[in-house]
Parts: sequence; C-alpha cells; structure tokens
Amino acid sequence: MTLRFLIRIAALSAAVLFTSPLQAKEVVTIGIGTQNTTTNTVTGGIVIKELGLLDKYLPKTGKYANIDFKLDWQNFTSGPPVTNGMMANKIQIGMMGDYPLLVNGANGQQSRGNETQLVAVIAYNAFGAGNGVVVNKDSPYYQLADLKGKNVSVPFGSAAHGMLLQAMQARGWSDDFWNLVSQTPEIGTSNLREKKIDGHADFVPFGELLPYRGFARKIFDGAETGVPTFHGIVVRKDFADKYPEVVVAYIRAMMDADDWVRKNPRLAAEQIAAWTKIEKEVVYIFLGPDGIHTLDPTIKPLLVNSVKTSYGVLQKLGKVKEFNVDAWVNDSYLRAAFKQRGLDYDAQKRTLANYDIQGKDPICGKTITRPKDAGEIWIEGGDIVPLSSPVCTFMGIRKYQDAGKKIAVVYLYDHGLGIKVFADRAFYAVNGSGTKLDVVPFLLKKDAETSAAKSGGTVATYEQVLAKMEK
Amino acid sequence: MALMDRHPIAPPPAAPPPHPIPAVPIRQPRLEAIEGGAATAPAPGIPFSLKRWLESGIGAALLGTLSIGAVLLVWYLATRYKLDVYIRFGNIPTPLDVWHSILDVTRSDKFAVNIGISMRRVLLGFSGAAIVGTILGIMVGRYRIFRSLALPAMELFRPIPAIAWVPMAIMLWPSNEVSIAFITFLGAFFPILLNTIHGVESVDGVLLRAAHSLGAKEKDVILYVVIPGALPHIFTGLAVGMGVAWVSLIAAEMISGQFGIGYFTWEAYSLISYPDIALGMITIGVLGLLCSKAIDLCSRLAMPWTGAAAGAGK
Repeated sequence: MTLRFLIRIAALSAAVLFTSPLQAKEVVTIGIGTQNTTTNTVTGGIVIKELGLLDKYLPKTGKYANIDFKLDWQNFTSGPPVTNGMMANKIQIGMMGDYPLLVNGANGQQSRGNETQLVAVIAYNAFGAGNGVVVNKDSPYYQLADLKGKNVSVPFGSAAHGMLLQAMQARGWSDDFWNLVSQTPEIGTSNLREKKIDGHADFVPFGELLPYRGFARKIFDGAETGVPTFHGIVVRKDFADKYPEVVVAYIRAMMDADDWVRKNPRLAAEQIAAWTKIEKEVVYIFLGPDGIHTLDPTIKPLLVNSVKTSYGVLQKLGKVKEFNVDAWVNDSYLRAAFKQRGLDYDAQKRTLANYDIQGKDPICGKTITRPKDAGEIWIEGGDIVPLSSPVCTFMGIRKYQDAGKKIAVVYLYDHGLGIKVFADRAFYAVNGSGTKLDVVPFLLKKDAETSAAKSGGTVATYEQVLAKMEK
Repeated sequence: MALMDRHPIAPPPAAPPPHPIPAVPIRQPRLEAIEGGAATAPAPGIPFSLKRWLESGIGAALLGTLSIGAVLLVWYLATRYKLDVYIRFGNIPTPLDVWHSILDVTRSDKFAVNIGISMRRVLLGFSGAAIVGTILGIMVGRYRIFRSLALPAMELFRPIPAIAWVPMAIMLWPSNEVSIAFITFLGAFFPILLNTIHGVESVDGVLLRAAHSLGAKEKDVILYVVIPGALPHIFTGLAVGMGVAWVSLIAAEMISGQFGIGYFTWEAYSLISYPDIALGMITIGVLGLLCSKAIDLCSRLAMPWTGAAAGAGK
C-alpha cells in the first residue's frame, strides 16, 4: 500500500515535471459507485479496479487526446447511497440491484438534468435466486408460512424487499400477515444472531453468507418467486452523452472481468475473497460454474419485464412516481462493445446459458454431462473436484475424509429449484441402500419431505447421509 | 461536542440567600450597581429605547421569528434559483416540496406516532442520563479518589460516536427499545456529567468551610451547598445533553426498523426521497428546540434566585 502510494507520488511528480512545459491536460474525474460486498456486482466493480482492466480501453485519441481520466472508486454496502451520489453528480457510473435500480431510474427522470440510463447488466438469476430469507439456526421455522405473525426484517428498497413483496402478492398475504420492519444487512444480521428478529430477508450474498457463517438457516429462496433478479450498471445520461466511448470502455472492461472469473473460477473466488472479505466458498456459490448468478452483460427482455413488474409493485405502495422504463434502458453502448469484440449481441441476449461444471468424476469415473445433477468438493487449500451425482459426491466426501484431507465446502444442486446449495445445509430425500442408494438434495425441508413421500423414502440431513456411506 | 462541554458564561456564585429578597426587576439600577453589571440603564426621561424594547419578551419573540424566517427565505431563494456557488442547491428539495411531504404525512396518524415514539425514547434515555450523570458528576467533583478511579474510564467512552455503538447496543441489551434508549442515553450522558463535575468544583470554598464550621454533615453539605451551587452548571449540562440526545437519534433508530422520526428519515434515505429526508431533519430540529426550551423553563423554576438574570446578556 505505502509502496504503491510512494510509486504513485513519484509517478505523479514525474508527470508534473515532464508535462508542465507541454499543454496542460484537462482532468476529468469519473466517480464509480461500487458494492464490493454484494458479490454478484464484483465484475462490474472491484475486479476492474484491482486488475486495472479499464485503463486499456479508455479512449486516448481524437477529442480525448487532451483529457486525463481520473478514476474515483467509491464503495458502498447498498444501492441507495450510490443513487444519492449520482444525483449529486459525484458518481457517474453506479451499480446496484433491481429495486434500487428502479428507484434510481425513477428519481433521475423526476429530476431534470439528473437522468440515468441502464447500460448493462452485471449478473442475473432468471428465477430470482440470490435473495433469500434466513432464520436463526435454532429457530423452529422451516418455510415462509411459519413466520406468520412474527417479526421479519428486510432492507427496505432493496432487491430482497422486492422479493418479499412478490412472495406476499403471489400468496395473497395482506400486510398484516407478519410484522415487516426495515433493517440494513448489518443490523438485521446482528438482530438475527441475538434472536431479536424471527426472520431476516436480504440480498446477495447474505442469504448464503449467514448460513455459511453458521448461525442461520435459509428457509426461503428468491427462486420460489420465479421473478428474475439482477444487478446492473447505470450511468448519468449527461456523462454518457458527453463521453460515450468511456461507457463502452467500461462495459468492455467488465466483459474482460467476466472472462477472468470464468477462466479460473477457483482462483477468482480466492482473489475476490481477499479483496472483499466475503468468504471464497460464498463467492464461488454465486459466480462459479453453474453458480447462483450468471455473468452476462446483455439486457434481456425478461429482466426489463421484471423491472416493470417491480415498478407495478412499488407503485401500488405509493413508493415511486412516474417512470418510463423503456426510455431508461439503453443498450446502444453494449451493442458497440459487442461489435468491437466481434460478438453477436442479439444471440447473447437470447440465451440464458451459464458456464457449466465440466470434467471427469474421479470417484465414479464418469464424465459430467448433466451439470444440475453434479456436485463439487472443495478440498481445503487444494482443488475443486467435480462429481457426477449426489451419491458420488457423498462417496467422495467419505473417501477424502478417510484419506485425512480437510474439506472446505461441498456444493450440490437443489433438484426442485435448480440452484446451487451448500451440501451441509441441505435436506435429502433418501431411497434404497447399499449400491442402490439414491440421494436427492433440496434446500428446503418441505421439498425433501414431498419428494420422499412421493418415492417412499426418508428425509435425512447431511450428517445422516454421510453416516449411511459408512459401508 | 467538546465545545459544548463548558458553559461560556461563568454563572454568578450562587448561595442560598439568608432571607428572601423580594423579586426585583432586573434592570433596576440599584441591583446593577451591586452586581457590577454594565450600566446600560437608560437615563431617566427617555421614554422609549429600541434596544430595551428588543430585549423585552415581545421583541425577543419577534427576533426569533426573524431568525427562523431568514433561514426559510435563504432556503427558498437558494432552491428556487438553483444557486450554484461552490455550494450547490440544484437538487435540494424546495420548501414547497417539503410542504407537500407534510401534507402527505398528516393524512394518517403514522407521523404523529413516529414523533410520539421518538419523544418517548429520547426522554427515557435522557432521564436516565440526567439521573446517572448528575449523581456520578457530584461524586467525581466532590471526592478526589473517586475521580481518579472513575473519570478515565468514562473519558475513554466519550469520543465514541453514537453510530459506532449500534452493533454493540444490539448485542448488549435484551430488547431493541432498550438498545435505542441506551444510545440516546450515551449522547446525553457526557455533557451532563462534565458540566456537573465543573459545577461542583466551582462551588465557593468559603461556603463549604462555613457550612462545615456550623456543623453540617456531609449529606447536608451536598444537599444544601453543593447541589444548589452547582445547579446552574447542571442545567447547562442538561440543555446540552438534551440536544445531543436528539443528535444521536438517527443512529439509534436505525435499529428500530419501523417507528420513530429518526427511522422515518433513514427510510426516506433508502428510498431516495429527498423531501421526506428534509422533513425528518426539520422535525428533529424542532423537537430538539422544544425540548431544550423545556429544560430552560425548568431551570428558571428550579433556580428562582438567579431570576432571568443568568441569560440576560448586556
């Protein structure tokens, strides 16, 4: 840090010494509002910053020959402060989740001269996974309906708040179904720990992070709403109109960051964990292969429609004024970036594909063909081993443990919601035994119970399944 | 904060008067001569003086209205013409926006409930601070050993801002209402403590010796000499403490998640609703002002011997 600072000072003074006789350059500061702890925004923020991906693409010719861009990175824990900075013109490029984005766009349109544009998506989940409701691990609640009449907190105006409103509307629950209060992630987490709140709904990464840290259990996943959730990049319209090439450059830098994550997800997760203090195992469950969120910058119609749905929900509550979503979405910068990279934007816009778990299962000796049946074992301080099925995964866990290896984390896929889960937090429908053993993982206890009832099996926890593997 | 710890005007050494003095009008020349005040009394024969009239009750009210009116006018003009001279008023909500917010919130009784709940929390925290702060202040000011023992530990906590206490307060107390009251308590506690200490130390030694030589016990000395002597300072501490209790309200009510004027302001921030933020700020300001005025009134009632003289600037 200090060394880098000294080098920077030296470079700056050298720059001043050598350029002073020349024409003085105009310095343009670009304020960039990031959310480092919101894991699925990292390729739009901290990765670009730490790997210096933007400098390569910033325009330096033509009208930019006499402009020196200075990047001012500002980090926040949620979207609203970023919007605040954008309205004050201290931040020109910002990133946030779907609901804060909606508030951002509506506010910009209300206040002439402060309009913003949605120029790219960072990551999304087509069914709404990523937001979730967690309870204290000792509490007797296993599904959303169990929280009837209880105290539930959520950061108001966040994507998780949107998820709850959707869930309530879908179930026909009135406002007095439970006592909904607003608490920031920091405060909600403390309260959950102290059992002062019965449930806490939150956005990425808290739905995974709190169970991972061991004092919470996820009882509802945004995937159950079926309404897509995403994080995106907004820019101030005046800035984008004046420097369109800079916006394109930023999108290209983000695409490079996406490639960097996909090329070596394990290394990326470790690096991102070092930068953001969110554990690597949690980063990986979001951004790893077939992770909860798909890195894809294209603005897909289903995401725009979800913003319109959210707008309807917020308008009903009288929380947001007039908002023209279509005027706010602007994919021209994305198209330019795709063109420069020689990629087909429309083809990418149509696909919902994520990058997949690949390789050969060393335990059962099969090549992995069905990613949603697969599992992964992350050996502490070592590699991530891909497995072809839940049973092979459990066999692998036994084998590695018997060989004296420490296992950092195991991932499987919920067979109902199709999302990646921590194996030791999941519930299993178990059938048969010995070589005929079949194990089906679920995030929610009720889903495992339903599946077990259908197939005449039993419900087991991670430890119970492992015990069955003693053979 | 540190600036507010000390009262700028040293109050006159107050001892209980030996026999009641009839209330005298403050501008009576005879009294001024005794008190050594500046002789600003007008020469007899001038029927009207503007300065005197402005210092009277009606004049003071008029000046107060003028002061707040000036703030409103500057705010209106700055936002109306989007003033931009280093300070930028372009996006600041106008008084009219805030007026619409007021109309919005008065449609239901929710806002009144918010105010009521905040008042309850502040008063709870403040009364706790007043009792604990005064007692500890008298102990610290009166007993040297206790001072050396207790003051350093308390001074350690003084600079910690209210917002930093939020996570610990959640962990410390069994319910969130208590956590919130605790944070307002902390805000009020230190000004009250320090001013009380200062007040106890500034009690005239002659009075203490006189009381002792007349055979007063420690209890009586504290009750009849120390406390009345320190009262002006204690009330200064209470007034400052009340202000700081309101200052820490937003930090405290971040915990609450649904009620209170601090929470209202915080929620408006998370939904980027600037007029509501301004309304919350103004409401907190007004409530704080009213509470400080109430303390002021109490101090006059509690110390009739100082009359209104303590505040009458020359």
